[in-house]
Amino acid sequence: MLRLDGLRLVLAIVLFAGGCGYAFTSDFFGKELLAEIAIFAILAMSLDFLAGFAGMVSLGHAAFYGAGAYIYALLSIWQDWGAPMAMLAATLFCGGAGWVIGAVTSRTQGIFFIMATLAFGQMAYVYVFENRAIGGDDGMSGVPRLDLSGIGIDLNDPSIFACFLVVMAGLVFVLFVWLLRSGFGRALVGMHRNEARMRALGLPLIRYKAAAFAVAGAVAGFAGTLGAQHSMFVSPDYLHWTNSGLVLVIVILGGLESLIGPALGAAVVIALKHEISTHTEHWAFFVGLFLIVAVLAGGKGLYGLLASVRDWAAAKRQPGGGDA
Amino acid sequence: MSDRREHMLEARGIAKSFGALKVANNVTLELDAGERRAIIGPNGAGKTTLFNLLTGEIAPDAGTVLLDQKDITRLTPDARARRGLGRSFQKNNLFRGLTVRESLTLSAMIALGKARQFWRDPGSDVEIAERIDQTALWVNLAGELDLPTDALSYGARRQLEVGLALAARPKVLLLDEPTSGMSPEDTGIMLELLNSLPSDLAMLIIEHDMDLVYGAAQRVTVLNYGEIVFEGTPEEARASDEVKRIYLGDWGDHHA
Repeated sequence: MLRLDGLRLVLAIVLFAGGCGYAFTSDFFGKELLAEIAIFAILAMSLDFLAGFAGMVSLGHAAFYGAGAYIYALLSIWQDWGAPMAMLAATLFCGGAGWVIGAVTSRTQGIFFIMATLAFGQMAYVYVFENRAIGGDDGMSGVPRLDLSGIGIDLNDPSIFACFLVVMAGLVFVLFVWLLRSGFGRALVGMHRNEARMRALGLPLIRYKAAAFAVAGAVAGFAGTLGAQHSMFVSPDYLHWTNSGLVLVIVILGGLESLIGPALGAAVVIALKHEISTHTEHWAFFVGLFLIVAVLAGGKGLYGLLASVRDWAAAKRQPGGGDA
Repeated sequence: MSDRREHMLEARGIAKSFGALKVANNVTLELDAGERRAIIGPNGAGKTTLFNLLTGEIAPDAGTVLLDQKDITRLTPDARARRGLGRSFQKNNLFRGLTVRESLTLSAMIALGKARQFWRDPGSDVEIAERIDQTALWVNLAGELDLPTDALSYGARRQLEVGLALAARPKVLLLDEPTSGMSPEDTGIMLELLNSLPSDLAMLIIEHDMDLVYGAAQRVTVLNYGEIVFEGTPEEARASDEVKRIYLGDWGDHHA
């Protein structure tokens, strides 16, 4: 279960306020970067919910992201659905698909589970890549954005759109804090710690794993609808497994099972990626180095690092506790 | 099956073989409401296997298991637990990193059907809190509720092992060597603890510690090579040459 301690709360507020502030003070490139960070933060939090808290490491997360993006694009371009309805439908579809795929893949364990999710993800990628009716490898452009002009918000303004995405990431954070404290969230954490005991206590494991997958899939799909609106374009790349890998790297770098760590990880990795790729195209090499250092340093990621600094400072402040 | 009392747990002709090895051979036993029965027998007699057959971890080749008069033979372990069949484990089977309170909350919320709640925090649920307080009193952990399980002494962890099963308020509790690895003092605490539990709770206890068997059980079942070879009161078990021979091994005869 999640303990919303001071560090998590402070980090959440800093990231949120920093994001909103940066949206209105940065140049155009900065706003693009911020939008990408916010979307990856949502993806990373949903994968942390699944992998970090529920213990189900998936390599198929990008498929839900891509599915959300495509369904939103198709419904709004072909069917003229309003953006809110298209976003809702795409999110629900991804939740339903997550339920089914979760129920199937949860019958496997460990590496086999990872391979099963990877296989599902790549099946979705190939389907979209080969399907000329939805643009094949060219993708589709002309994806509209949500129209909030009725309440005086112009999402075509890059500052406002970036800030809107930061707010969405904030809402997703609140959703997961809430969910992880609920009976459902606690059951998932208990299952991660000791699956056999949870079953002996009466928990139907497959049903809860499928539900966890459904929630993570729905939120990743929701991130997809935002990604499609951000670039106003969808392509099979959204679904590619390397994206799933990148999100997993972000989660591990940020700190598994910390929820806010992966949001911080998204900011660091996406910023690094852009910073390094202005100098060399081998940005992944440096992110990889960074990942190795993070894993060797205890595997608790950036959040774990900050938590140990906090504990060290607390021990130092306490008289007599400094040498402990 | 001499009388027609209503049994809380009943095994009828349970049989299980692993290859040529018969681990359960036509095992029939009944447990009434509130009955405390010890299962004893040498290592490898099939005691834990019998528990696994009763809880559904292993499917029997033949036979029927009834809980509160209802056939549960085809149910999964989790479905049996939800119907009131609780168990503790021979080796501590706890939740690392969680506190005692958080661990007990998991058990209570599942039993109360509150694991399904998406929005409410079981941590602020009065019904769950009452259960946890009561359970903590039973297993002597009222002062340790907010400690991480890893910080507990071995004896306290054994108590939590039983407490996790108790927080679900089972009708029937299967205890697999509750005093395994315990010091004599801790064994005494465990005996007291088991005797303080509600009198309507039926318990089946696998145990090697004879003090606990004589102190907590009204009936003793002796298992050998997967077969029930003796059933009676602890006094009768103590007096039985058959039990002595099985339990002490053949060297007992040579020195007699």
